[in-house]
Amino acid sequence: MSSLVKSRLIKFLLSLIIVSIAVLIIIFNLRDNIIYFYGPTELLKNSDKQGQIMRLGGLVSVDSFQNEADSIFYFSITDGDNEIDVKYEGILPNLFAEDKGVVVEGVYMNDGRFIANKVLAKHDENYMPPEVIETLKKSGKWQGE
Amino acid sequence: MSLYIFYISNFLLLLCLTASLMQSSKIINNKIFTRPGVIVLAYVQLISILLSFLILIYLFLTSDFNFDLVYFNSHSEKPLIYKFSGVWGNHEGSMLLWILILVLFNFLFALSRRISERFKEITVAIQSIMIFGFVAFLFLLSNPFALNQNNFFDGIGLNPILQDPLLAIHPPVLYVGYVGFSLVFSLAIAGLITKEVDQKWATIVKPWVFSAWAFLTAGIALGSFWAYYELGWGGYWFWDPVENASLMPWIAATALIHCVLILQKRNVMQSWTIILAILTFSLSLVGTFLVRSGILNSVHTFASDPERGLFILLFIFLILVFSFSLFAYNSEKINKTSSMGLISRGTGIQVNNWLLITILTIVFLGTMYPLATDLLLNKSLTVGPKYYSTTIAPIIILFLFFMFISPRLGWTDTKLYKIIIQLRYLIITSLTITLIISLYFELFNLTEILIIFFSLLLIISSVTASINFNKQNILVRTNLGQNLAHAGFGILMMAVVSNAVYSEERIYNAKVGDNLQLQKYIFSFDKIEQVEESNYNSLKAYFLMKKDGKLIDTFTPEIRFYSNPPTITSEASILHKFFSDIYLVMNVPQDQQSISVRMHIKPFMTILWLGTLMIIIGGIISAFIRIGRFNEK
Repeated sequence: MSSLVKSRLIKFLLSLIIVSIAVLIIIFNLRDNIIYFYGPTELLKNSDKQGQIMRLGGLVSVDSFQNEADSIFYFSITDGDNEIDVKYEGILPNLFAEDKGVVVEGVYMNDGRFIANKVLAKHDENYMPPEVIETLKKSGKWQGE
Repeated sequence: MSLYIFYISNFLLLLCLTASLMQSSKIINNKIFTRPGVIVLAYVQLISILLSFLILIYLFLTSDFNFDLVYFNSHSEKPLIYKFSGVWGNHEGSMLLWILILVLFNFLFALSRRISERFKEITVAIQSIMIFGFVAFLFLLSNPFALNQNNFFDGIGLNPILQDPLLAIHPPVLYVGYVGFSLVFSLAIAGLITKEVDQKWATIVKPWVFSAWAFLTAGIALGSFWAYYELGWGGYWFWDPVENASLMPWIAATALIHCVLILQKRNVMQSWTIILAILTFSLSLVGTFLVRSGILNSVHTFASDPERGLFILLFIFLILVFSFSLFAYNSEKINKTSSMGLISRGTGIQVNNWLLITILTIVFLGTMYPLATDLLLNKSLTVGPKYYSTTIAPIIILFLFFMFISPRLGWTDTKLYKIIIQLRYLIITSLTITLIISLYFELFNLTEILIIFFSLLLIISSVTASINFNKQNILVRTNLGQNLAHAGFGILMMAVVSNAVYSEERIYNAKVGDNLQLQKYIFSFDKIEQVEESNYNSLKAYFLMKKDGKLIDTFTPEIRFYSNPPTITSEASILHKFFSDIYLVMNVPQDQQSISVRMHIKPFMTILWLGTLMIIIGGIISAFIRIGRFNEK
């Protein structure tokens, strides 16, 4: 093997090692920061997900909304089959209403309640998050086209 | 009338197609293709597209609802400026704007002097192949001049969130940036074909690549500025896929401009520069069309249509295959072996190139991973912003260090310890300031302290380097563009870190008469009123901000109710002070008696925008002013 080829091979292998280490670090960091999305039925099936940060989406159940103290809200999210009770402390977006689509981010507690720390804001009254449409389709409750 | 306009505008598009085809044929060096000349054809290309763009503006301004595009995206009661900006607030119109800029760059380059005729012909030919492709796409798959058969009385309207003066200029500025790299790409391909990627090539490329970069920076900044004002989320950067899509070409372009500089000075790194030029343009295409395709879900998404997405994907694929095979074929011939010292400015820039590519990879993985899992595994997920901040922050520390040290090194081998000794006062000053800052603000996170320290080093060294006296005590010309941009980046990084650490948020439910507290300020909820505007109704709250019983300012956050199309938006009310912004947003959830108010203190926002502005101005200066000879030997 000529010395030129040898030195190129060494350089190549060295950079391969460095690059793979970097990619591994990035991927591990990525995995730690992934937030999964679930619908109510899916979440109930995956009860081992308790304690993790995740997103939950569906429709706000009719007659479930309660405003207890200053900015503490209770409501349920449904996909037509199953419901999950949500507690949220904070500010609700303008378009939040019963029987409308919603996506919340927070932790699924081991008592089966969802403590949300974010209600994701949407801009359009008729807008339905695609994940919620997907959820409603899975439970067969989707009315749209 | 509408029918005539339909024919004229489609004729203009066909005219541009023909001219571009003739222009592209010049890539073959044959006498048949020399007439008409490059400049004549470039005029035809520019004028035909410019006229069709003006026609489209006319259609929007006169609200001609016989045209589908106007019907779906405009409304007769819209204020004039939004009828105007509505022209590019949709897929077809923004494509036409994109093409207009493509043609404009083509034209400006065709007019430029001191370039060999053959090189110019090839560059313009490559650029014209792209013009041909995009005009054909526009004409066949997204024609802005499509007529409808109905007599609509009024249009559907423009998404109110897009009705903002900032958004009238954000897309054009961003597009000038993206499309500017198309010319850099054409120049790179022309360089590969003529096998002349050398110092002369770098000199030709430099003004184009720097101005494209400055525009892209400005476009991203405007978008971020808009998000801060209009969306009312109380932040300026969310690591949203759409923002990432514009950041990725910016990172590649930042690496590119530095490589062009090394190439110009030292005639090294030819291949890498070409790769970066191709990469930057490909990412610009991804940036524009990933955003438009409907794959990413956001306000930027216009009507999605699989055929269109497929066309763009095919186009990007062809560009990559073509340019990389040409590169593989010719790269050996463009490389010239010149040496750089190990500890030299060139090495420093190279290291930062790698760091930039690493950051690019991080952003790319974070953006594409959710798309991949959604398409392949049908699983929805999001990547949290923490992924980006924790992975990128350590790299930024190294990046700032090399940004600080590289310009101080010579192009040939330099002794590092000599430089450190030379810069000892600078280092001591920065260290002291960092110590004071971290003690005073009780900042004990190592990453944050290091970022602040190296940012300070960078800022101070850039400022001192730009004030440089010679032995006769006369101010000599220095590399002002570089120093300004580098200092701006340091300021930006410091502001970003301090903003992340010291932002404060309070949320209240408020009724009229309530007093709310945020740090040392009291906000009295004075009254709430309904206001009617021409295109929306609004609910406006008045908060009196007091400090020690004295009235300082009145805040008027708003909620706007638009009817065409029906939408509700929150307008933030912001008080800018030099060291911090105070930011109020209100919401009125349904089924609720009181309003919710979110109050933020956002430190260093003004400084953050100032740093960004310095980067942009630095880029513009570097584009048009010849570099001084600072630190040359």
